[in-house]
Amino acid sequence: MNTAVANLNRLFAWKIRGIRWIEIIGVLLVAVMVFSVYLAKAGAAREGARISDLERQISDNGQRVRLLRAEVARLEQPSRLEALSRGAGLVPVDVHRQAKVENLPTLAPIPEPAPVVIATPPVPAAPAPEVER
Amino acid sequence: MSAQDPHVGSRPAPSWDVRRFTPSWRWLTEAMWWVEHAFGRARADARPEEDTRVRIFVILSVFSAAFVCLTLGAVHAALLTAGAGAGADSHPNAVVRADLVDRNGALLATNIVHYGLYIDPAQVWDRRAAAAQIRRVLPRVSRTRLQTALYGDRRLLVVNRLTPREKVAVHNLALGGISFEPEDVRVHPLGESARHVIGNVDTGGVGLSAAERAFNDEIRAAGARGESFQISIDLRVQGVLENELAAAATATGAIGAVGIITDVQTGEVLGMASWPASNSRNLATAATYEMGSVFKTFTVAAAIDTGRADMTTLLDASEALQIGSRRITDFHAQNKVMTLEEVYLHSSNIGTSRLSTEMGPRVMRDYFERFGMMSRAPFEIPSEAPILPGEWSDSTLASLSFGYGISITPMQMAAAMGALTNGGRFIPLTLRKGGRPDERGRQIVSPGTSLTMLDLMRRNVVRGSGGRAEAPGLRVGGKTGSANKSVNGRYNTAHAVGTFAGVFPADGPVDARRYQILVLIDEPQTYPRTGGFVAAPAVGRIADRIAGFLGVARKADPYRTALGDRIPAFEDLEGDGR
Repeated sequence: MNTAVANLNRLFAWKIRGIRWIEIIGVLLVAVMVFSVYLAKAGAAREGARISDLERQISDNGQRVRLLRAEVARLEQPSRLEALSRGAGLVPVDVHRQAKVENLPTLAPIPEPAPVVIATPPVPAAPAPEVER
Repeated sequence: MSAQDPHVGSRPAPSWDVRRFTPSWRWLTEAMWWVEHAFGRARADARPEEDTRVRIFVILSVFSAAFVCLTLGAVHAALLTAGAGAGADSHPNAVVRADLVDRNGALLATNIVHYGLYIDPAQVWDRRAAAAQIRRVLPRVSRTRLQTALYGDRRLLVVNRLTPREKVAVHNLALGGISFEPEDVRVHPLGESARHVIGNVDTGGVGLSAAERAFNDEIRAAGARGESFQISIDLRVQGVLENELAAAATATGAIGAVGIITDVQTGEVLGMASWPASNSRNLATAATYEMGSVFKTFTVAAAIDTGRADMTTLLDASEALQIGSRRITDFHAQNKVMTLEEVYLHSSNIGTSRLSTEMGPRVMRDYFERFGMMSRAPFEIPSEAPILPGEWSDSTLASLSFGYGISITPMQMAAAMGALTNGGRFIPLTLRKGGRPDERGRQIVSPGTSLTMLDLMRRNVVRGSGGRAEAPGLRVGGKTGSANKSVNGRYNTAHAVGTFAGVFPADGPVDARRYQILVLIDEPQTYPRTGGFVAAPAVGRIADRIAGFLGVARKADPYRTALGDRIPAFEDLEGDGR
């Protein structure tokens, strides 16, 4: 037991060029800590600046979005849309012309206009059926 | 100082006399010297070594405690403090007032940064040219104000509320001495649309009227969080209401008109319009009207709810009703004994007068109170108080039964119609999306009465006075109202109010989704001036156009097909009830 304590004491008292090695290690550790704290602080400051910049951008974009939304709202005023659509001859769809999607197959097709016959002069020979492929 | 300093014990006493000080200072000084002499005393007690250790230990402990505190503080600041870091502690999109949006998120009011234009005359090179150029891009700037600023001796505000576009125009002039300062301005991009619902804000960002005032604190809190604040209005519904109301009012040459659309189950106001919109007075809350026959709905409902009548009860309307010296007649006299249904459908004054006098003042007053007729409408926008009858004689009861002798706001009417058509629960109307929290409604009539009234109102549109409110497949029900206005104390037939209080869809269970539409036309100039002609068509068109927005599907009911065609009445040909 005493031997172990003595060994420990000797180890503790071991000096390099007159300085206890434990103190050298302590100083080195403190230096590493100081440097790492410096790095962390510098990194945090950089991130902080970036966050501030992003927040400023968000704020600017938010302002632009607000402006555009206000412009959209102004253009989509119900009375303005109504006046424009009435001016374009649009009216609410009559109930007889409304249908649900599931009713589409049952709707009668719009009668096709009778084919317009265009009288063309007879062509004696047309041996080029390629267009029919 | 060494701990083994041999001179410590013989250190001279303090050079000043402690007795010179006041007692408290003396105590402090003595305590200090007692500590200072502790080592000497310990040596005198022959325990110097032990005392040194104690001293070192105490100093060590104090420093350790201090460093532990510092460490804990640093850890707490680094890890546990909310909002730590370089970011701002407020939301980047925070504004003084939140955007006011409708129930679907469509913008109603927003804050836009505007700019104040400042001129520092000391930095202006050519004042005459500067004035000319500024006035060219900014015609609204006051000439005298501009001159004052340009020829003054210090920096002055020339004009505020420059829009971002105006600011760019002025900035592009590249003039010296011009600067801008941002200012937050409340903007209502919809112009006059929904202005009576949205309200105004003062320059300090405090709501002055309508929703801006009613929800002022919540709007500001939402703004600080960078969120929008929703109200119950549906801008699409509001737009249809405004357009159709304006069309109806213009077509009838009216001096004013009111439209209100509510969800009867939640009390939410989906649309509220007061025409003309240029008038800052909101007629829906700030004006009272005698609404005429719409009140027959409440008289009949009270009679049914008290069990005094049902659909088959017979009422004698074969001749005018004489109350004292007053003779009550029918506008469309049928001169016969009528069932309750016929009384309602033919809008018989005689029939409802008989009902009300039979029920008496106590019952009538009780039911009017239940329907909210006797007090201001509980609503976020303060409204006018109703004008109530001074006494409750039989003659007054007769008048009340068909909507004379009591003036109420359209909001009161909308709330009462909602209560009658949602199963009998009176729910105060609200602009709050989702309805008022914790508002369960007050049961004022039985669900059975509510169902009966819904059926009656539907029949009134199918074959009564409300026929022009029919919208194909939407099962519109409702009651017309026509009243002459009192001018200089006398009712004048040239000044009328035409009303239609409608509800759709009128079929289905009492708790089905259902919407109430009230349209009131003030002083229509076209003939006939009755509600069935001036207001009912607008209600029909409004229902037709908003049904799609509200998700109400077109369906057939016992009276009409989904496309609005008449269904032949069931006829019991064999007489056996099959």
